Amino acid sequence: MTSKDLVLESAADRTTRFERDALVFTNQLYAAALRYTKNPEDARDLVQDTYLKAFTSFHQFEEGTNLRAWLYRVLTTTFINSYRKGQRQPLIADNELEDWQVAKAQSHTSDQGKSAETVALESLPDSDIKRALQEIPEEFRMVVYLADVEGFSYKEIAEIVGAPAGTVMSRLHRGRKQLRVKLADYAKELGYSTEPSSKKGGSK
Amino acid sequence: MSFIEIQCSEVLSSVIFIIEDELETVPQAAQISSHLTQCAPCTAEIEHERLMHQMLADVLRRSCNEQAPEELRQNIHRQIREQMGSYAGATEVVTQFSMTEISIEVDEFGNIEHREIQIEQTHIQHFIDDED
Repeated sequence: MTSKDLVLESAADRTTRFERDALVFTNQLYAAALRYTKNPEDARDLVQDTYLKAFTSFHQFEEGTNLRAWLYRVLTTTFINSYRKGQRQPLIADNELEDWQVAKAQSHTSDQGKSAETVALESLPDSDIKRALQEIPEEFRMVVYLADVEGFSYKEIAEIVGAPAGTVMSRLHRGRKQLRVKLADYAKELGYSTEPSSKKGGSK
Repeated sequence: MSFIEIQCSEVLSSVIFIIEDELETVPQAAQISSHLTQCAPCTAEIEHERLMHQMLADVLRRSCNEQAPEELRQNIHRQIREQMGSYAGATEVVTQFSMTEISIEVDEFGNIEHREIQIEQTHIQHFIDDED
């Protein structure tokens, strides 16, 4: 039998440890909170609430496991439980588990379509990227953000948002697609490309 | 021929799994892999999807990098210290449980084996005194 070292940690030591290990993520959590809440005031409150909750339950956090993922989970559940209620957000239909596979007839993209999309992504300013992200449904926005900005694996995201892994995969797929369509449309409005990216070439 | 075992459309509908390196979780993984070795348009499409995903992730990371306002940092710090202060004023009850299990075994040759197992547990509880 192995006996775990039992360190009796004082409240002051625990606080120091929390401040040292958890507060380094303030910028990241704030950026995520801005995506979740869509406004700076709510984002500030959300991050502050998140840290308070995380601190008061810090003794439950298992050292050696992923603190960043744990903080994101606190952030996400706090947002879902307290902040979302105030916002009028149409929820997407939840029969999403498989419908992405039949959502659209898959065909090969034309070469013009491909290059137009590349141009769109390269030329758009940050403000348009953020606007597009704000315009896609919340469930999609969260998983795309967690995967592509924060680099969490889809299994970690499943834990963070409290959804099955298959659902996360589907949201990720649909969220990225919607984002790309929006960005291509913005680019077209700005005259960066002549071809709408949603236009598909001949199918095989 | 394995190429016709699966349609291009089916391969392309699994693109997310291919990009996320999770193709093995798809039931037709083997057919998709073999299709991809022979179908140039599908391979090109997957490559395009990979590139687009990379670019999308890059622009997202570039755009979403706001700094937390200084005021927020101070508020968080203050809030944590206040919370700790409430612990400091509270009665902290630390329950430590310790048990030693001793076993002595004598085998058929008369050898004595002596074993000690130490079991320890600590539980901390704060009882915050109400002001009112």
